[in-house]
Amino acid sequence: MVEIDLSGLSCPGPVIKTKELLDSKDPVRIVVKVDNTASKENVSRFLESRGYNVCVEMEGSKFCVVGTKGSGSEKSVRQERTEARVPEKRIIVMITSRTIGHGDEKLGASLMVNFVKTLKEILPNLWKVILLNEGVKLTVEGSECLPELQELSNSGVQILVCGTCLSYYNLINEKKVGETTNMLDVVTSLATADSVININ
Amino acid sequence: MELPSDPNLIVGLERADDAGVYLINEELAIIQTVDFFTPVVDDPYYFGQIAAANALSDVYAMGGVPKTAMNLVGFPIRQMDISVLKEILRGGIEKLKEAGAVLVGGHSVEDNELKYGLAVTGFVHPKKVLTKRNLRPGDLFILTKPLGTGIATTAIKAGLASHSLINMVTRSMAALNKGSAEVMALFEVHACTDITGFGFLGHLAEMVVGASYGVEIWAQRVPVFDGIEEMANMGLVPAGAYRNRDFRKEMVEFDTSVPRYLQDILFDPQTSGGLLICVSQAHGEALLEGLHRKALYDSRIVGRVLGDRVEKIFVRLEP
Repeated sequence: MVEIDLSGLSCPGPVIKTKELLDSKDPVRIVVKVDNTASKENVSRFLESRGYNVCVEMEGSKFCVVGTKGSGSEKSVRQERTEARVPEKRIIVMITSRTIGHGDEKLGASLMVNFVKTLKEILPNLWKVILLNEGVKLTVEGSECLPELQELSNSGVQILVCGTCLSYYNLINEKKVGETTNMLDVVTSLATADSVININ
Repeated sequence: MELPSDPNLIVGLERADDAGVYLINEELAIIQTVDFFTPVVDDPYYFGQIAAANALSDVYAMGGVPKTAMNLVGFPIRQMDISVLKEILRGGIEKLKEAGAVLVGGHSVEDNELKYGLAVTGFVHPKKVLTKRNLRPGDLFILTKPLGTGIATTAIKAGLASHSLINMVTRSMAALNKGSAEVMALFEVHACTDITGFGFLGHLAEMVVGASYGVEIWAQRVPVFDGIEEMANMGLVPAGAYRNRDFRKEMVEFDTSVPRYLQDILFDPQTSGGLLICVSQAHGEALLEGLHRKALYDSRIVGRVLGDRVEKIFVRLEP
């Protein structure tokens, strides 16, 4: 069991210290003492996000946040989000269609899914994915590309989705991944990229 | 405390509003407001922009147009290079230009902690002043910027924010509410405020206090920055959010379907947040479309005024 007294610290201090402790020791049971309600709530939320069962006890004027893991529980329920980064060689993939190429619609759609899936292979250099025109339809519920795009986003790739296009197709509320963007962002991104792969 | 009175003071301190409004003549009233704070982002130029956008916002929320502004500066001249201050002021001036307002002066003091903000004066037609009052049953609420800047700045302090989150939030905080205000002026808007330190529900509560109606909010419809859900679940919630929640707990009722992280986000204190516009039911969709056409894509209809549940806010996931 690990115990740590973080009285005197205010947010986000207690969460940072608790995180450091979990990252280095990964204890089965942890007791974190704090002296204000915001820290009590935040440390509770943090421990829960790492797969602990949490209860809070009072000790004088201090809160003892007690976290316990069931035996054999997996390391953490949430993978930590990777930092969005600027790769050394900045590649942008610009997608302006729902399908790849002009021919059979079904074939084109499955090629697109395969393409987006395979982008993982250039992940170290993949900087941004820009979605324009019908490309924005890849970001809505039901699109087979959506989980792949979400995975890229979680790996730190910026997904820029054209706002004008979402608005045109009436999908502003449906977009499930990425950042709504404007033409200025698109143009400046393209201008600063080392290489642009254009899919239409 | 007894305050000096004057019949020309249209909006004063008696009810917390965004700014004071003083009547000059039948055609003109002035709006006065002041706001300053310590840095919310590391980059001084963007901090200047954000502080200015935040100070100007109150004028837009009252339905006015900013005209003049004065800098307020607290600066630790012994510890910090003067170039930092220059960058801050440059950012502020940039935003004043964008707003069409002029800088007429300012005042600086030595301070252990860096602070910057502005006192802003705006013009408004006395009949077009928008306050937090005047909700009517059926009215719709539109929010023009995503929520989550408080959680994001906490994550920045903790060193746990991604670059894309920092960029997104910085850009949003530095954006003027000018565009939204211009669109809003074309429609039948009954009330307006801007979202800052008390969080979305805290400022909404100010609109609902003393009203003869209640409000329903659709949490799933409220715009939120990408990545904030995870930060909230990790406990990177600023203490202010919990204070906001505790202060308004009697007024706000959450449906059991609303997850805790969304409740946190709805009380998250915002810096330079969006406008919360209360518009007639008939004009709601058209106003939203107007905002989207002006590239204000994050704007959403987030709730409505109810005929019952007087002075209460009911939060559910969807309409």
